[in-house]
Amino acid sequence: NMVQEPRGRTTRWGDPNVKVNFPGLPTNLPARLSKDEIDSYIINLRIEEISQKLRTGNVIPPERARSPSPEPVYGADGKRINTREYRYRKKLEDERHKLIEEGQRRFKDFKPPADYKKSNKHVE
Amino acid sequence: YQIVNGKIEPTKILLLLNMVTEEELLNDQFYEEIREDVMNECKNFGNILSIKIPRPTENKELSNVGKIYIEYETTDQSMIAYKALAGRKFNERTVVTAYYSEMQYLADDI
Repeated sequence: NMVQEPRGRTTRWGDPNVKVNFPGLPTNLPARLSKDEIDSYIINLRIEEISQKLRTGNVIPPERARSPSPEPVYGADGKRINTREYRYRKKLEDERHKLIEEGQRRFKDFKPPADYKKSNKHVE
Repeated sequence: YQIVNGKIEPTKILLLLNMVTEEELLNDQFYEEIREDVMNECKNFGNILSIKIPRPTENKELSNVGKIYIEYETTDQSMIAYKALAGRKFNERTVVTAYYSEMQYLADDI
């Protein structure tokens, strides 16, 4: 259901007939929200979106959005460590970590998701 | 969140949220593709006068919420896009729509 662009590239837009709905998190925002209110809301929504992907294991994007595979890295047991699943999971975890950091830095009442542990801190 | 019950006051400026990451905005090729994808879709709803996709720079840190602003010719056009694009997927992310102040947009206060 990817729409082809004239130049052969596929668009980043998903199917126009598919709409996502998170319970309690509307995708139409009202007027007169401050920048902080908007940012805080979107940070929470994106964290919920990522958490859902991590919970359900839906972490690998469709072909178009994938980056080239890196050289394989193998563990002591001879199994590949940096699998596609692993890389995309890590990417989402890193993004979520950045969002949580921003939330905690900017908003006093910000609460990290229940399944997020501080010890989860990623190592650069 | 109290957000659900607020009043909606349309303007000509459509604000699209949760669209892109800082990482993508830093890549020149991705930035151009994103701009093209957004223009191609958003012109289906009306006449676009301008578009602003802020990028992170040395002196300006961006929030990680991925904002894109579209200036339509009329409020009716931005209202159609506001409804049509909410909840759509872009980059495997759920698009959230809002309106933005015309004065602030034109003053580049974004």
